[in-house]
Amino acid sequence: MVTVKINGKEITVEDNTLILDAARDAGYEIPTFCYQADLMGIGSCRMCLVEIEGQKKLQPSCVTPVLHGMSINTDSGTVQTARAGVLEFLLANHAMDCPVCDKGGECELQDMVHKHGPHKGRHAEPKFKFHDKDYVLSPVIIKNSNRCVQCMKCVRVCREVVGQNVLGALGRGDHQEPTSFFRAFMNCEMDGNCIEVCPVGCFMRLPYRYKSRPWDLKSSDTICPYCATGCRMVIEERAGTLMRAKAQLGVGLNSETLCARGRFGQDFVNNPERINQPLVRRYGKLEPVTWEEAISHIKENLTALDGDKIGGIASPRLTNEELYLFQKLMREVLGSPNIDSSSRFSPDAVEGFVAATGMGEGGVSVYDCMEADTVLIIGTHLSDENPVIDYIVRRISASRRMNVIIASPRAMKLDSSANIVLRHNVASENAVLTSLVIGLNEGKLADTLKGMHEAQLDANLKASGVSADLISTVVNRLAASSSIAIIAGTDFLRYPEGISGLGLLKDLLKSRGKKVTVMPVLDRANQRGAWEMGVHPGFGPGYSETRKGLGTEGMLDAAMKGELEALYVVGSDVASMYPGDDFARTALSKVGFLIVQDMFMTETARQAHVVLPGAAHAEKDGTYTNQEGRAQVIKKLLTAPGRAKQDINIIRAIGESFDRSFGPKHFALVLDEIRKEVPSYADVSLSFNNKRNTDNKLDNRGALVKAAAAPAVKVKSFNPASVETSGARFILTTGNHLFHSGRSSMKSETLLGLLKGAVVEISEEDAASLGLKSGEKVRVKGANFEAQMTLLTKKGTKSGVAFIAENFDDAPVNRYFRRGGGIPRVDIIKTI
Amino acid sequence: MLSEQAKQEILASLKKYHDKRSAVMDAVRIAQKENGGHVVKRDMEEIAEILEMQPVEVNAAAAFYTMYRIDKPVGRHHIQVCRNISCSLMGAEHIIKHLERSLGIKTGETTTDHRITLSTVECLGSCGTAPMMQVNDEYYENLTEAKIDELLKKMA
Amino acid sequence: MSRKGFDLFDLIKKVLFTDFVKGLTVTLGYNISKSITMRYPDEEKWIPYRRFRGLHTLNRDENGRELCVACELCSKACPTGCITVIPEENDSGRGIADRVAKVWTVNLVRCLFCGYCEDACPTRALRLGREYELACADYSCTLMSRDQLLVPQPVPESIPGGYVVKSKLERTPQGIKVTVDLSKFKKRSI
Repeated sequence: MVTVKINGKEITVEDNTLILDAARDAGYEIPTFCYQADLMGIGSCRMCLVEIEGQKKLQPSCVTPVLHGMSINTDSGTVQTARAGVLEFLLANHAMDCPVCDKGGECELQDMVHKHGPHKGRHAEPKFKFHDKDYVLSPVIIKNSNRCVQCMKCVRVCREVVGQNVLGALGRGDHQEPTSFFRAFMNCEMDGNCIEVCPVGCFMRLPYRYKSRPWDLKSSDTICPYCATGCRMVIEERAGTLMRAKAQLGVGLNSETLCARGRFGQDFVNNPERINQPLVRRYGKLEPVTWEEAISHIKENLTALDGDKIGGIASPRLTNEELYLFQKLMREVLGSPNIDSSSRFSPDAVEGFVAATGMGEGGVSVYDCMEADTVLIIGTHLSDENPVIDYIVRRISASRRMNVIIASPRAMKLDSSANIVLRHNVASENAVLTSLVIGLNEGKLADTLKGMHEAQLDANLKASGVSADLISTVVNRLAASSSIAIIAGTDFLRYPEGISGLGLLKDLLKSRGKKVTVMPVLDRANQRGAWEMGVHPGFGPGYSETRKGLGTEGMLDAAMKGELEALYVVGSDVASMYPGDDFARTALSKVGFLIVQDMFMTETARQAHVVLPGAAHAEKDGTYTNQEGRAQVIKKLLTAPGRAKQDINIIRAIGESFDRSFGPKHFALVLDEIRKEVPSYADVSLSFNNKRNTDNKLDNRGALVKAAAAPAVKVKSFNPASVETSGARFILTTGNHLFHSGRSSMKSETLLGLLKGAVVEISEEDAASLGLKSGEKVRVKGANFEAQMTLLTKKGTKSGVAFIAENFDDAPVNRYFRRGGGIPRVDIIKTI
Repeated sequence: MLSEQAKQEILASLKKYHDKRSAVMDAVRIAQKENGGHVVKRDMEEIAEILEMQPVEVNAAAAFYTMYRIDKPVGRHHIQVCRNISCSLMGAEHIIKHLERSLGIKTGETTTDHRITLSTVECLGSCGTAPMMQVNDEYYENLTEAKIDELLKKMA
Repeated sequence: MSRKGFDLFDLIKKVLFTDFVKGLTVTLGYNISKSITMRYPDEEKWIPYRRFRGLHTLNRDENGRELCVACELCSKACPTGCITVIPEENDSGRGIADRVAKVWTVNLVRCLFCGYCEDACPTRALRLGREYELACADYSCTLMSRDQLLVPQPVPESIPGGYVVKSKLERTPQGIKVTVDLSKFKKRSI
């Protein structure tokens, strides 16, 4: 600890604190352009110059650490003159086209000049220009270098946080231009973090170009509806159209970063294809009706039914309040135990996963995981599925000594930050984890491992396809660390065999006295919330005991046999997401009465008897629980189009038609009920979003849910996943694409501009041996389905693995799967 | 396209450094020498591949130094006039103006007969004899207009 | 004044109608003096000074390109919020920059002609012109759009104003219109 005097005020701060941070702690604002806490300091903009007593020259406070006894003046006359001078030089070549510039009104340079600047320039020389016209760098970025202030935040964020490194600082001095290689079109992640950090109008959003001014926009502080990372963001609208989404510096766990989906994918809300009135099937055709007619039609058809013959599937993009009310409607009003929140994962796998990752034990912050000595990332393609977690891992792992171990069949961007990469076979997470367990145990078998012999190590190594050397390095690192974080992804739900291995490893490490944190990473915004609200056939709200019912699979089975008389689907597209060729479609057609509540006319909605128009995240209030167990608030900004309603109101209207007293009448009252019914949510408050985080900067711990009272879940063991034996060359795996997840991203104009047609991803070596190049059109041929798509190659992916994301309309990947048929194999053929 | 020999040279230079990336300056120099005075986009892409970096990083390294010329071919004689503080104080501005006038080109350009390229560079470490310039690999110091005229006559 | 005494002077004044003549002098004096009313709109019309704040006008540069870059500063400056600007990108050279107004409307019912918008305009595209005949019988004229405002007003910027010109009232099926002849003018002080 050192004591320094800032503007005459004495404060004590940690060693090596930067003067800038110390001054800000003391309550003095120092203007900056190039400083950002997450990025390496370069001290290039010179806005933060301060006077240190005893030193003749001013010092940049963003790179100068405090020393004991320093006396610093942040606002003396010299400092003010220096700031004005810096700004005068920045303006010397600045384009000054503020009226045209999209940043006008929220530009840091404008603000600074207004506050500190010389209000008169002395430079009469013609301005230096990099180029005349703005140029497009990617489908989402347009650039004007003439406005650059050379803070190089864009280049640094691209390298240090995003890990893409496609921007470079070309040239020197005032002629330095941050841009891509020869200003060419960039092939990057298109996440637009360079736009976000740019203090001026140098990097701009192309979709938002010349659409609005910051003062026209109404905004709401909400949560991204794509993956379960739970990034805080601000969405802004003008005249009822959602204009843009942006992140806020120092707010939310994501701070100023978002991924392509989060930043550019919110415009699905504006899509004209949104359903805007209730429809009822009459004489084989869906016809518009009033809400009263639709609800009474539903009541008529559900009244006489036995609860066991009714099913309900709710999407994990609904809010906690909606999900809670949904399960209440199903269980208490309709008397049905058959509810599920996913059309992809089996309820047993979910139960096992919930138990193995310890979701019942309360929330785990990602920043807790990042404090561990070793982080093991397994069962997820983190860079594509949860890009912001990828940024956090990259940023933190570069700034402190820690082991990052990644196990995945597919190469990912984060591999470059990993110390060890385990390239295992598809669906062999269990073999990898078991090998680690055996390795850690060194023959001294714990009770839980009785009956497992070292001979099994070989079998497991063979199954996983990972070399014994790599496993033993990982084992050594795990053994040497005192705290370990395991980040486990959705592959455990797809191939549930790994769950027992995960539980085993966790218990073993714990029994060795290590601190183990397990964080699940999920791909739907409120997946964890859906489970915690009890939208699951195996457990009720708060993982409580309940009457067991059927999951999606069971319901479809029953429907196939003609035993399911009614199915209420909210926001889920079962027909195109359920892995098993045409099974879901056929089963749904046999359901006696199908109610679908959604934003768009999905495959499922087309088969419905009643279609109810629901609302998007921007049109409702509520809470989302992210994968960490952070309950965060989403806020209404727009009104749903036409006669569409918030899902909570629709669910309540159906409930009220049976029971006048059904449900609390307002989302906040529903949350109150949740707080009472689910003990782990007792502390959840609607005011989290209003708070700027203070402790640990980004980690808002108050929002983490507490441990459940007595979680009725246990780790189960599952049969190993079988692989089809068709002899085709590639094993097909699926998941989410970087630009697409779920159904809504396929309705976002900007994301479709980034990627529309289906792509299949294989390793570079495989492509070379097939004589194929990246970008070529290929046919992907499976046992029961065949489609044409574009080939992408990735360096380092395991040979023999083909990946198709589950989102594409033109190549529905679920068609390749066969019910109970194991993991499909496909062949990739060049289209002639 | 880098020739096989140039590639070998680059690979050999890798041995001098702990980190592959550090060899970027050497690699660009080799490419520039082979290309007759400037580096092109294609070369930088190849260098990036050899050194496992992004092409834009190679570009950024090359663009920083005035000794590298990107995408602009040079003439037979490359006149590089120092414009840093000592030379500027001793009249580098006039020297540059004079050169521009007598060659009929602007700084950064090449004469139409591809004979002479004129450019300005940062300090060449010969401040004691300012103003000065470098023509190809040779220094010409304590410049005056008369000296330059004489030199240009020789280059013709 | 008391009625007690007899005043010869008063009697003479009454006999000679002095007061009457005095009053008549004023009347007759005005009768032959220059008139200050105008025969507006049938014969004459007052052309205001340049500083007059009338109907908005959007200007073009000498090449015919729109000066408006749709920066929305006018709508920000407007105290009544009567100006709506929606920008768009247009590379065709319609405007001086690639940013032009897709929509530029002013709601004249709300406008109080304060001229803040004019002051805010960075490109001098927006001026409050000298058009003041804004009345109409329905709401059609209360919302003026970009296309209407881009049409140059009858009184060009070059004319200093502050005088009366010849005018004519025309009744067309579209409504009443006052046409002016700017070539001849009369100085008139008010």
